[in-house]
Amino acid sequence: MFRLLNQYTSNVIYGFTRSRWLIITSLIGIVLFLLPAPEGLSIDGYRTIIIIIMALILIVTEPIPLPGIALLIIILQVYFGIADANHVAHSFMNDAVFFIMGSLMLAVAIVQQGWDARIALGIIKFTGNSALKISFGFAVISALMSSFIGEHTVAAMMLPIGMTLIRYTSEDKTKVRKLAALLLFSIAYGSLIGSIGTPSGGGRNAIMMIYWKEFGFDPISYGKWMMMVYPLLLLQLPILTWILWKSFRPEYTYLDSGIRKLKVRVARSGMIQPKQYVAVFLFFLIFLGWIFLSETIGLGIIALSGVVLYLVTGLAKWDDMSKHVNWGVVILFGASISLGTMVNETGAASWIADQVFGSINNFASSTPLLTDTVVVIMTTALANILSSSATVAVLAPITLNLPGDTIHIGLVTAISSAFGYFTAVAAPACTIVYASGMIKAKDFLKAGWKTGIVSIVMVLLYANIFWQLF
Amino acid sequence: MKFLIAVGSKTYSEPTLRVGMQVAKAFNASVTILYVGPKISAFSSSEVRLAQESMERWEIDRPGVEVLEWAFNFLASHDYITPKMIEAGFQKNTLVQTRGNRCELYLQGVACEDVNLILRNGDIIPELRDEVAKGGYDVTIIGGSKKRRMAHDLVQYIDSSIFVVKNFEQEIDYRLLMATDDSEGTKKAVKFGAKVSQAFDMSIDLLTVSKKNFFGKGYRNASKKASTLVRRAGIEGEVLLKVGDPVEVIVDFAGNDHIIVMGASSANPVKKFLFGSKPLKVMSSCNCPILIVK
Repeated sequence: MFRLLNQYTSNVIYGFTRSRWLIITSLIGIVLFLLPAPEGLSIDGYRTIIIIIMALILIVTEPIPLPGIALLIIILQVYFGIADANHVAHSFMNDAVFFIMGSLMLAVAIVQQGWDARIALGIIKFTGNSALKISFGFAVISALMSSFIGEHTVAAMMLPIGMTLIRYTSEDKTKVRKLAALLLFSIAYGSLIGSIGTPSGGGRNAIMMIYWKEFGFDPISYGKWMMMVYPLLLLQLPILTWILWKSFRPEYTYLDSGIRKLKVRVARSGMIQPKQYVAVFLFFLIFLGWIFLSETIGLGIIALSGVVLYLVTGLAKWDDMSKHVNWGVVILFGASISLGTMVNETGAASWIADQVFGSINNFASSTPLLTDTVVVIMTTALANILSSSATVAVLAPITLNLPGDTIHIGLVTAISSAFGYFTAVAAPACTIVYASGMIKAKDFLKAGWKTGIVSIVMVLLYANIFWQLF
Repeated sequence: MKFLIAVGSKTYSEPTLRVGMQVAKAFNASVTILYVGPKISAFSSSEVRLAQESMERWEIDRPGVEVLEWAFNFLASHDYITPKMIEAGFQKNTLVQTRGNRCELYLQGVACEDVNLILRNGDIIPELRDEVAKGGYDVTIIGGSKKRRMAHDLVQYIDSSIFVVKNFEQEIDYRLLMATDDSEGTKKAVKFGAKVSQAFDMSIDLLTVSKKNFFGKGYRNASKKASTLVRRAGIEGEVLLKVGDPVEVIVDFAGNDHIIVMGASSANPVKKFLFGSKPLKVMSSCNCPILIVK
């Protein structure tokens, strides 16, 4: 009896320590809720900000599963009387959420096509067997692909190639630690850098496109986004390779035997099958759709059309999609977009923009560089703590309310949200290579701070010099 | 009996596995060897699985499997599993995914009843706790950790006896240090310790520490009972009564050539949580293996 009671108390203590952040967050929420709204901020706006603060703490400390936090964001909007249920539901689902859902499904369809072997061969054909060139090749291919289909797809597809090459070079992990870091970071950071290239490069870009439209700003076309951003992407790649090479000079500078074995392995996998051609063709259709139709029917609808095509042709199975799509993440993005919409509607966004930039407002409107700097640093910081897409969903309504050109500031926000180099949680591409077990969490800092600083400086210069031409 | 051996890596966990298996053999227990890999961010868990599946097409194992393979090789080279199993080698394809972050491999044992290999991903304490609660283990064996928090969480939240294989050296001729007092846990600890010392032919030091200058009836009785039990079991034992701060005296006396055996504190969990307990304090400051019997 006594033992049982002790056991029970012990369970309660355990539960308490596990969920202490939930309790702390609730207390903060209640206290803030009871305080009066600051001057100049509507009561709804104030309560929206309370939800943001609570969501931020919960996502970082994770006392409950992520989808649980997403659901909390949704229900709190209704409980706090910010909007009624139908209004929240409307703001929860839009084309950006369609896009995120569609792109997660497409990732499953594409990764399972087995293009990786062909890609591996293609890269080697150009690079030969020098580790430096291979690392550059990995970064370029990852970036080019991820600029269209998103970093999560590319990282999942490229990781096996990188891992195979590493293993073929040496079975002993300790002898190829730096080589592994070099190649895997080329994949992860290359994918991240690439994902800024087009609106379909990542969920965060799609969110930005929707916000421009919904908040009544002029959106830009798929082609114009590419024209404005792609040169930056191409400029960043050689610098990335240089930084990675300096940080992780590999144990082997030439990977002769690894490459030879890889070629044999790919040759064994046989000829390209007709259905692989079909899969490529379908993807090409989706790509054309994004370029020419996304303005009229939306990025998300095209992604979903692609999913339907893959399902109809039998190139992908629903079972696989349903198993591999992270539904919790879809819900979380829906919830954070809904929250972002409320931030804008309630006037909380412009209030925060005024508070943060109020003192420098006059000065800032004359020097966009200063505004950009604040936006980039804030976005990069949040993207590394949270996730890049959630950052854009919540932060963009605020940055879009800043003085200056909304396209300029929107693009800067979207681009800098891709700078999730510092942690393994920031971006799916980083988590995927981290989960390979070949690189350590501290390696992210080692390579990340240099890449991060260079990227920040580059985007600032680029946005304030090159975009003046448009 | 059921033993759970938690291993951290190939480089550091060899002593834990070796000692753990020896003890398990002595008790003829069924053993589970658990490796907990790093936690994967929930934002990308599905994508990580997708990548891991496509790596399987390239015959690359998911991370952590190599630790299980190392454990398998250890078991095989020490004949803990049946010759048939050894001959078949490490069968990766029999690694069954039992849940999102948990894989299991079953092996037939020789010296022990059977051996399971388990791979999980996540934070160590919640994963261990979950595994112990589900498998109903009697003893959890784990390597020493420098983190103070870790010792606390192990003692506080893992509902089994805990054997921390700290600073274990094969060359040292270990003696068993049994800390006895009038608490409830002592009786169980003495029984368990006697079995261990029988199995490994270790002699025992029975140590009772009092804060005051005299020894109360409870303490004297506890010490007497323990020595009787040890003598009956036919083990060489020495009875010691010392004065001082129990934690300090036990840690000092143990040095690095004893294996400490203590009963778990039966104090109120809230009190333990706030102020700690004797076993916890000894565990975090000692320099030798320690077994806390629950």
